Amino acid sequence: MTRDSVLAVFEQFREDIDQGNDRRERLIKASRDVTNISKKAIFLLHRIVLEDSPDDRALARRAAASGREKLSEAHAIFAAMRPELVGDRFWRYHRQVSPGVQEYIEALSFAHYVEHDALISYQQVQDTIGDADGPFFPLTLSDYLLGLSDLTGELMRFAISNIARRGGRPKANQVCAFVRGCKSDFEAFVPHVRDLSKKQSVTANSLEKIEAAAYAVAVRGSEYDLPPEMLDDLVAQTTSKFSLTDGLRRDRDEGYIEMHE
Amino acid sequence: MDPLDLEKLNALLEHDVGVSEKIKEQVKEFDKKVRIIVGILGKIHSTPTTSMPALLDSVSPVLLSCRDITTSIAGAIPPDQFWRWKDMWSNSIRAAVFAAALIEYLRDGSLLSLPRASEILGIQEEWKDRFSLPVEDYLHGLISMVNELSRYVVNAVTLGNYEEPMRISNFVKDIFSGFTMLNLKNDSLRRRFDSLKYDLKKIEEVVYDVSLRKLVVVKPFQ
Repeated sequence: MTRDSVLAVFEQFREDIDQGNDRRERLIKASRDVTNISKKAIFLLHRIVLEDSPDDRALARRAAASGREKLSEAHAIFAAMRPELVGDRFWRYHRQVSPGVQEYIEALSFAHYVEHDALISYQQVQDTIGDADGPFFPLTLSDYLLGLSDLTGELMRFAISNIARRGGRPKANQVCAFVRGCKSDFEAFVPHVRDLSKKQSVTANSLEKIEAAAYAVAVRGSEYDLPPEMLDDLVAQTTSKFSLTDGLRRDRDEGYIEMHE
Repeated sequence: MDPLDLEKLNALLEHDVGVSEKIKEQVKEFDKKVRIIVGILGKIHSTPTTSMPALLDSVSPVLLSCRDITTSIAGAIPPDQFWRWKDMWSNSIRAAVFAAALIEYLRDGSLLSLPRASEILGIQEEWKDRFSLPVEDYLHGLISMVNELSRYVVNAVTLGNYEEPMRISNFVKDIFSGFTMLNLKNDSLRRRFDSLKYDLKKIEEVVYDVSLRKLVVVKPFQ
């Protein structure tokens, strides 16, 4: 090969490499946008479910619908990503796409839980990432599980604010049982999904917080036979005590810190 | 979680574990072969030019037998999943490209092209979404070859081959200027490319030594 032909070959390589890098950058940006939208959807859900309402069911439905509406913006971004992730490209850029997808699953599963009191299934998530022509790109098992793992942190906030909310205590107990179920279901996947074990310990933490709050309600409520309004005040005290301990064990408490970002 | 869903997820997971295990097995074989090849190629440093063809011929069959491996790996990978698994054999395939490129240079003094490297490794066009030779891995192989040539240049002179430094110098300079055309991001390829200049320097020093002592007649630059 002469020098000129070597240079010509490398020029082709440059084009290939540049194309890959540019696509990677575009996907990182799209993923970030999805993350942003999903975070907003989660905040929106938290706001609405705590509103005072005579009909909790209707409130939950309205919250879920608003959350989903916000997430439709993410849907549009996913649709635009389709050509960038076609065929073998999906796995090439999976690492760039993953963070957004996981955040999206967190938000979507939260909306789903608020409305149905159940975990959204793998297939249901995949169905939302697609249109009549099929999926925009495949949903990976690890993104699904890691996204759901983040849901438990949101549920912790949901449960604790429900305890403080008039008449929200049965709901808090229900969430507590649900998170416990999630944690034990995910345990079997830990050896096969990277980063899941870290998220499991965050889940364990969230669970502990919900349990502590539920404990406060049960113990003190039974002991003094307090009227519900006074219990509400007691629980508010318990939750504020938790933020004190959080400062001391920051390393274990990712879920809490995130809340204050 | 719904028990049916749980079962489905488990099945998906089992399938992935199966794929990964099949690949692992093949990569182990791949590694063994590559080690044999690299081991034989280590002898180039003590082989005079006249016996070089025989040495290179003895490597070829092992190198060509890597085709069985690439075929098995391609067969184990589900459609469109090349990039999901490729990290498992990156090191082996880079070493194989290195060997093929080194052999090509020592035999013909020319640069092994990427399509030719794929061909030697038996990589088929129709495997594209399951097994291919990415530019990045090919370039890693070339860098390893330059690293090796910067060592070979010294030993060739020791064995009395005074022409070799000039040939290697020109060859490596061409490759180097090719690399300078690339916009590399901050990854291992970039770091390895950055280290190429030391190889170039080492080769230049040998060229300087032999020409200074008139061990070789340098033709005027045309």
